[in-house]
Amino acid sequence: MLGELFYLKNKKIMIMRNNIKGIQACYIKLAAYIGILFVLLIVCGCSKLVHVDPPITKITSSNVFKTDATAAAVMTNLYTLLSSSNYNSTPSLPTISLWLGLSADEFTLWSGNNNLAMAAYYQNMLTSNSSNIGSEFWVNMYPLIFVCNSAIEGLSISTELSPAVKQQLLGEAKFMRAFFYFYLVNLFGDIPLVLTSDYSQNSTLPRFSKSQIYQQIVSDLKDAKELLTSGYVDGSASNSTLERVRPNKWAATALLARTYLYLGDLLSAEAQSTAIINYTSLYNLAPLNSVFLKNSNEAIWQLQPVLGGTLLNITPEAAWFIVPTNGPNNNQPGNPVYLSSRLLTSFEVNDQRKINGNWINTVTVGGNTYSFPFKYKVNLTSSNATEYRMMLRLGEQYLIRAEARAEQGNIAGSQADLNMIRTRAGLSNTTSNDKATLLNAILNERQVELFTEMGQRWMDLKRKAIIDSVMTVVTPMKNSSVWNSHQQLFPLPLGDLQKDPYLTQNAGY
Amino acid sequence: MFKPKQNKVMYLIENAPRAGTGRLYNKIVLVMRLTAFLLMVGCLQMSANGIAQSVTIVEKNAPLDKIFKQIEKQTSYVFFYDDHILQNAKKVDVNIKNGSVEQVMQACLKDMPLNYQIVGNTIIVVVKGKARAVGEVVQNTDKGLAFIDVRGRVTNENGEPIAGVTVTVKGSKQATSTNSQGDFFIANTDKEAILIFSGSTVETFEVKVAGRTEVMVKLVMKVSKLDEVQVIAYGTTTQRLSTGNINSIKGEEIQKQPINNFLLALEGRVPGLFISQSTGLSGTGVTVRLQGQNSIFGGNDPLYVIDGVPYSSQMLPTTAGGNGGILGKSGDNVYSPGGNGSPLSYINPSDIESVEVLKDADATSIYGSRAANGAILVTTKKGKIGPIKINSNFQYGEGKVSRSTDMMNTQQYILMRKEAFRNDNLFPSANPSAVLPFVYAPDLTIWDTTRFTDWRKVLIGGVAKYANINSTVSGGNAAIQYLVGGTYHRETTVFPGDFSDEKAFVHFNINNVSINKKFHLQLSGSYGYDNNQLPQTDLTVSSYFLPPNAPSLLNPDGSLNWAPNALGTSTWTNPLSINLNRYKNRTNNLISSLILNYKVLPGLELLANIGYSNLGTKESLPIVAVSKPPESRTSSNRQVYLSNSTLNSWIIEPQLIYKTSMSKARIEALVGATIQRNSNEGLYLFGSGYNSDVVVEDIRQASSLTILNSISSIYKYAAAFGRVNFNWNDKYILNLTARRDGSSRFGAQNQFHDFGSVGIAWIFSKESFFERLSNIISFGKLKVSYGTTGNDQIDDYRFMNLYNPNSPTVPYQNTIGLSLNGLPNPYLQWEETKKMSFGIDLSAIKDRILISFSYNLNRSSNQLLQYALPIITGVNSIVDNFPATVQNRTLEFSLNTSNIKRKHFTWNTTFNITSSQNKLISFPTLSTSTYANQLVIGQPANVVKTYHFLGVDPATGLYMVADSRGNPTTTPNSITDKTVFINKNPTIYGGLQNAFIFNRFQLDFLFQFVKQIAPSNILFGLGSYPGNGNRNNQPLYALNRWPNPGQNTDLQKFSSGSGVSIFNQFNNANSSDIAYVDASFIRLKTLSISYDLVKESTTKGVLSSCRVYVQCQNLLTITKYPGLDPETQVYTLPPLRTITAGIQIGF
Repeated sequence: MLGELFYLKNKKIMIMRNNIKGIQACYIKLAAYIGILFVLLIVCGCSKLVHVDPPITKITSSNVFKTDATAAAVMTNLYTLLSSSNYNSTPSLPTISLWLGLSADEFTLWSGNNNLAMAAYYQNMLTSNSSNIGSEFWVNMYPLIFVCNSAIEGLSISTELSPAVKQQLLGEAKFMRAFFYFYLVNLFGDIPLVLTSDYSQNSTLPRFSKSQIYQQIVSDLKDAKELLTSGYVDGSASNSTLERVRPNKWAATALLARTYLYLGDLLSAEAQSTAIINYTSLYNLAPLNSVFLKNSNEAIWQLQPVLGGTLLNITPEAAWFIVPTNGPNNNQPGNPVYLSSRLLTSFEVNDQRKINGNWINTVTVGGNTYSFPFKYKVNLTSSNATEYRMMLRLGEQYLIRAEARAEQGNIAGSQADLNMIRTRAGLSNTTSNDKATLLNAILNERQVELFTEMGQRWMDLKRKAIIDSVMTVVTPMKNSSVWNSHQQLFPLPLGDLQKDPYLTQNAGY
Repeated sequence: MFKPKQNKVMYLIENAPRAGTGRLYNKIVLVMRLTAFLLMVGCLQMSANGIAQSVTIVEKNAPLDKIFKQIEKQTSYVFFYDDHILQNAKKVDVNIKNGSVEQVMQACLKDMPLNYQIVGNTIIVVVKGKARAVGEVVQNTDKGLAFIDVRGRVTNENGEPIAGVTVTVKGSKQATSTNSQGDFFIANTDKEAILIFSGSTVETFEVKVAGRTEVMVKLVMKVSKLDEVQVIAYGTTTQRLSTGNINSIKGEEIQKQPINNFLLALEGRVPGLFISQSTGLSGTGVTVRLQGQNSIFGGNDPLYVIDGVPYSSQMLPTTAGGNGGILGKSGDNVYSPGGNGSPLSYINPSDIESVEVLKDADATSIYGSRAANGAILVTTKKGKIGPIKINSNFQYGEGKVSRSTDMMNTQQYILMRKEAFRNDNLFPSANPSAVLPFVYAPDLTIWDTTRFTDWRKVLIGGVAKYANINSTVSGGNAAIQYLVGGTYHRETTVFPGDFSDEKAFVHFNINNVSINKKFHLQLSGSYGYDNNQLPQTDLTVSSYFLPPNAPSLLNPDGSLNWAPNALGTSTWTNPLSINLNRYKNRTNNLISSLILNYKVLPGLELLANIGYSNLGTKESLPIVAVSKPPESRTSSNRQVYLSNSTLNSWIIEPQLIYKTSMSKARIEALVGATIQRNSNEGLYLFGSGYNSDVVVEDIRQASSLTILNSISSIYKYAAAFGRVNFNWNDKYILNLTARRDGSSRFGAQNQFHDFGSVGIAWIFSKESFFERLSNIISFGKLKVSYGTTGNDQIDDYRFMNLYNPNSPTVPYQNTIGLSLNGLPNPYLQWEETKKMSFGIDLSAIKDRILISFSYNLNRSSNQLLQYALPIITGVNSIVDNFPATVQNRTLEFSLNTSNIKRKHFTWNTTFNITSSQNKLISFPTLSTSTYANQLVIGQPANVVKTYHFLGVDPATGLYMVADSRGNPTTTPNSITDKTVFINKNPTIYGGLQNAFIFNRFQLDFLFQFVKQIAPSNILFGLGSYPGNGNRNNQPLYALNRWPNPGQNTDLQKFSSGSGVSIFNQFNNANSSDIAYVDASFIRLKTLSISYDLVKESTTKGVLSSCRVYVQCQNLLTITKYPGLDPETQVYTLPPLRTITAGIQIGF
């Protein structure tokens, strides 16, 4: 063992005394400081110490509906979100033109495509699994409905907003809610009707019948019509502007006309579309190549492009649909689709819309000619946008009224409306002169007028109940798939079925 | 002098404001800030005073003792000498200004028959020629008396007094123990008595009194593992006396491993601790789970405390756009910050003195709400008393990918592709716009179908260089000790291209004890800078999936080969193009802590722990046009993602410690408080549209700029805590802790919560009935603890209803939108984990065998997590208290043996094993909750539900899974047919370490073992279907596909296209039990060999030590796992096999 030993005769253990007064004073001061700190902590109570103010990067809900500007910003954000939708992300409402165009008979998918979602929509082979292919619209739209619901709640109780702004924003929120439900009910059938932001109630909602949903849509649109201004307002939601990028009274009217047509309430449909058509101070049919320009006379509601990079100031439709000179590809943004021969053959001879450079254009690569939608023509970024993404336009209103009138037996009125569209396309007046052929002609006109626009074709096939007969022919042409009637409704997302025990899957999935 | 000041303190206390008005609060905050500032200033002055050990003595004709007294006044030295030796001493003249003590002593004694010796802070003056050797006794006996009084002092090797040493007179019942000055007194004892000095911390030592009345003893501190100091929350303990479940890892063990994050050195070393890294890159994310997963989704990180300062367990979000993801996540946490990488990789492993892992409630409950998942305490190196020491370490080595999977060669790949086309009745074409049945397939029609490249060799086959240079200077005397160290570390990657992770660290520590030993100051800090440059994405994926006949990377002229087709369109994405987009991560990290300690009264200490840390990360991810195929190089394709984020945290923890002893009882009490404030800030930018690739990182030159995100959040935390430790004769120990916590993450109603624990230990080996066994079992302890801990690991502000600004590149109608920030929940409450632990510690054959066993039962309830909601509610989830209870049960066993203990050869073995079980034990509302179809009572909280796999239908060549009745189906119901439950948690893990010392050689190795089940990515990796148009190569195993109708195989037929039906079956199989395989492994984690060129104890030269060594990491892995690596599991770079050599030199 190691050890060390000292021996001392007398006690000589000296403990050093501290005579350096300054240092000692310093210790005591320090001790005092620690002591004070300690006591303060305990005495002053902890709740102050854990209080935080909202972060500077955020605004609280209690403030957001107190000023006109922040309240308007909540709705502005909804349009920003819609306009941010691009085709390389998952399917969403503003990009529905591609997805429903693939599902219906409008697009052909390029053979080299490597996007599984596009293949699944194209081949009408949506399934319910964890990849959620087929349920994207559901997953995308309910959060937007939530924004509308919380805005309606916040706006309704707010007393600080100026009445005009409050009224306009409430109208916008109701219109948007109706707009989302319109698409949801058409894509999924019976769906949960969520009208509040209370998650505890909403998380166990069952499906509501289609008629209940439509009832809500009509009621919201009627409210919106009353609340919204008939002109257009800017980002402040009160000053008027020429930009047609916020929904107004006529947007609500236009969607109401479409809804009544879908519901078979022909008288109302005709009345609503007539109201818009007669409002010529704002709305007139534009020449073919002016229809999709920003703030065109035909536009009822458009979305202003917000994205940057390769999509700066252009519409995603132009970026994705215009096939480049070296043919379709899988790039981002990509061009993996072109117009189907079925759509191309449904145009009449001399239809100006089909003429290269108008609403359709072509490119020939390696001996193959690809036709592609050319409604939006600008696919190169620029400092100023010249085209806006069309959400609602006057042309459709003529076709709605034509159909409503034909169904009611007003052949002449119907022909007149139909001919408005045909004339613009450089076609002669319709030769159909009885209800059945006229309805058929209108359906065909809708196909060539509204092609690759917001899924109109797919929804027409469904509401006219001809989807089975059409798709039985079309689907086998798409990579030798087989049409199953249940594919006309899309599958509910697996996640929601797992989380909400009261939801049931659509038949067939 | 002390008194009036104390009165002033009391006055302030009595007049201290009660919690009240906001103005008062502001004042308090101001006072506190001032206090903190003054404390800083004060201690800087203090240390300046403390360093000065120089003396100024100007005396003429002065007696020696006068000079000595002056030295004592001016320094911390104390003199020891016999009075009589000075009696005949001459008076001396001294004239020394700012000289050293040695100078003064030499001047004093130069003509005298006296000599001096400095031992620690003691100066011993003796008669020349009588300088003592170790153990020698200066004889000076009092003859004639039979009984004498003996007094003396006990010190350690450094001359510091040791308290609590028992002094007994051999053969009698006379005994005493040393006081805090190390002094003892035994009255009236036989002058020939033998004194025995013993204690739990010292080696027992016997001394004959031999008539002496004063005895000074220097004792050797005990080296038993049981008595090594363990750092715990707000204090220290030893394994012998602790009531909690604690493991310590010494810095030396960490420094034997060539790693860049100390967490990786803990793998396999600590029972109950499971660590896995996400990639093999430097700075990778690291998942740490202590005794299993308590929270069902996220919030499972332990609390990290570096020198008393809490440290973040997660990085702030990395570059938006997600491209910073190359480093991988640290766990699957859903709460923020949750960025990529691990913040612990910015702590220098070379600076670590020890790491303590606290597991049970007894050890962690005092950390309250933050330690539900345990705590990991890091103690950095401190200066020690002794002469100046310089220690340098140079290490260099190389790392390589060590595991691989057999992939198809060109011939097999072409066969697969052609067969896939045949199966689909399609034909490959060189025409990019081919129409069906022709499909564009450049790999078959344009590329050379005989060319072969082993892409793994090309893309991840490189050598990663590892270099570490570290140097520390340390030293000090009893008053002040210091340590200053610097480290440079550089690691490159196995990828082609010039990528590296460079780090530089500075570490310092100053300890100052006032001359009267009442005031103690400790300042520690480290600053690190890390510059990590990596490719944009991990090339491991490309290295596996590029077709073997893909074209060469470079054209003959050295440019990237894009292999254009006849139309000029590139036929592939050249993997080197990824390297052109260099991901840069620059991080600086400051951690500092200051401990001020003042002994107010004997046994009573006032202490303040003040810490500040700042972790700032700047990232840039440029995307240059040349990285794109030539046909799509536009200015808008020139982009950059930039991020700049900072985590700031300060903490103040005043504490009051009281220690006392009464007869055989020792009591230690502690009360304290915590105020902590964290603030996170981040800005995330995206720019595009540059004129040139060169300027892409200059955001000012972007033609369009988007602010992707901005973060600014504050987390405040305040607590009061206390602990009482009662020790009766080192036999019965009771430890009580309590804490009241408040956190700003909760709404006003639920901000506070109380936590507490009870720990009891019974050292039964000290019982008299056990004495007979004491030759075999030298130590035995039973311990049990129970208590609560909490968890507040959620996002800040979740109780507030907040809106975020949304600013796209082109603002809609020129206004910034406001988007809802999820659902608020004002009713949030604390999550509580109840922990129970039983343990037994045994030590046998003179501590040569140490056994620890513990059984731990942790139950987490009222769990705080992202409660999943159906999207119809508008959100995916809401942070909510979850009405479920998760139980983690671990059995931990560890064994330390000293197998051989000879002079020239020692062999030690350490073994630990943990069995862990995770179970959801209750969820009353499960059937009606959103988890009805996801969780199962009695199964792990993270259970994976899968289909049962039934193989391939011999008729169609498509996969089949079983429905709920066991019948084959190709359209399973994903809710009802998932009948197989998979447990992905490791069930058994541990390590075996051996250390040999043979003369100058030392050999250490550690085997790590894990038993677990993991997804077999090799069959179903990346959703890449064998034969498909993405032109991915496949593992060789894929050749066992279904070839023809009627054949039985495991694998579905090849397919070239996007055949949805085939994909659906593929996805079903991927969600079946076949996709999960045994991923157990045994890994030779560490091997280190060293040789001492110079032995410290013998050398008299300049070098005090010189050692050469070889260190290896991940040398060998034994596993049946078919994928890349059973630890990382996914297709990221696996942990590298690193072999390094180095030299360590000490002066």
